[in-house]
Amino acid sequence: MQWIIRFFASHRNITSLLILSIVSIWMLNSPQMQQQRIARFLTVSVFYPFQFYFNQTTRIKNIFAENRKLKEQIASLSVKVALLTENTRENERLTDLLGISRQFSFTLAPARVVVRDPSYLSRSAIVNVGRDDGIVPYMPVMTSRGVAGKVAQVMGRMSLVQLLIDPANRTSVMIDRTREIGILETTNGSDFFIMFRAHADVAVGDTIVTSGLGGIYPKGLLAGTVVKLEENRDPIFKKAFVKPEVDFDRMEEVFVIKMSPQWASFKSELDSLENGK
Amino acid sequence: MMAQITQWILVFAASLILQTSFVPVIAIAGIKPDLLLVVLFFFCIRYGVMPGIFVGFFMGLGVDLYSPSLLGQNALVAMATGAFLGLFNERMMRTDPLIKMALMFVAFILHDSLFLIVQVAKLGDPVSTIFGGLLLHTLPRAIYSIAVAALWFAWDMLVKPLARK
Repeated sequence: MQWIIRFFASHRNITSLLILSIVSIWMLNSPQMQQQRIARFLTVSVFYPFQFYFNQTTRIKNIFAENRKLKEQIASLSVKVALLTENTRENERLTDLLGISRQFSFTLAPARVVVRDPSYLSRSAIVNVGRDDGIVPYMPVMTSRGVAGKVAQVMGRMSLVQLLIDPANRTSVMIDRTREIGILETTNGSDFFIMFRAHADVAVGDTIVTSGLGGIYPKGLLAGTVVKLEENRDPIFKKAFVKPEVDFDRMEEVFVIKMSPQWASFKSELDSLENGK
Repeated sequence: MMAQITQWILVFAASLILQTSFVPVIAIAGIKPDLLLVVLFFFCIRYGVMPGIFVGFFMGLGVDLYSPSLLGQNALVAMATGAFLGLFNERMMRTDPLIKMALMFVAFILHDSLFLIVQVAKLGDPVSTIFGGLLLHTLPRAIYSIAVAALWFAWDMLVKPLARK
């Protein structure tokens, strides 16, 4: 027995190699079930810390991959959400317009604003209906909120709309409550006002509608609301500041009211009157 | 002594983590360097046969548990490779980096040859797979691994002397 121990002690390398080779070969030749048992035993005992590291590494790797995938999904979904939101808004706007179209006795030509200068100097817009759609100059243009302007020029498939924010565009309006008539105008495209007689019955909050007297707009189209009154400055007039109903910066869909101007016979005279010449 | 053991455990653990996480990223046409074998090489030529046998065995056993192969195959092969590399212990013979690279190449051939022999013997694969595997898989893998190991040589030859100064 002693010589065996002495042999092993003096040939440690060979002995270790031999023993571990036998262990390896035994594992290799074990049946599948036994290999699984050995693997399970080694995993939960000797190799647990390493296995833990492996699992963590794999987990982190999976988390990174999942994170990348989720980011891609978020980007893709964001685009979809943006499109859906836009579609919902458009749907709401078109539903509004459709409602108005049903209420209205005139024929309305739905149009989309295709060209719009975003600067504050922009006083006109181009819409995608024109002569081919039966549009002629001076037809009123409105949105679901109210009056927006009038057709100034007509081309085959497009029309130039002169908006209310154009200082040259003055509109005959009236106070819906008291029927006081005035001219809605602006000097800078943002502050709208109406000059009324000093004793006119006008109050803040009054609704302004088109009077139908200009020959362009039909009577009763919503134009705005009185937000401020400037009295006692002038013995003859009082100035009512009006907030227009239409948001001219966010105008996308409009309706062209298909009604012929009521003043075709004296067009040139009225043109000069409207342009302040 | 403890510090050295800890250091080597960390090196092996790091190489295992890198092998499973980073190395697949730098694979070229499916050929990946074998960091574990590279680390085993440096360990064995520093500490000799006996540590080489044990570390090779346990390292191979760890790979066996991690990868779905024959249990004991990697243990046997890595142990034999560790024993072989341990014969070139640096304490007994000093070798320059070029010789070490050649030795590493031989270690890769030995490791993969044994691996394929066990595979052929156990799974009954045709013998031709040994030559095919050595030619198509082992040679590029060995070259790529040696290129990666060159960083270690650079560290040993350039950075360490500078750090000592």
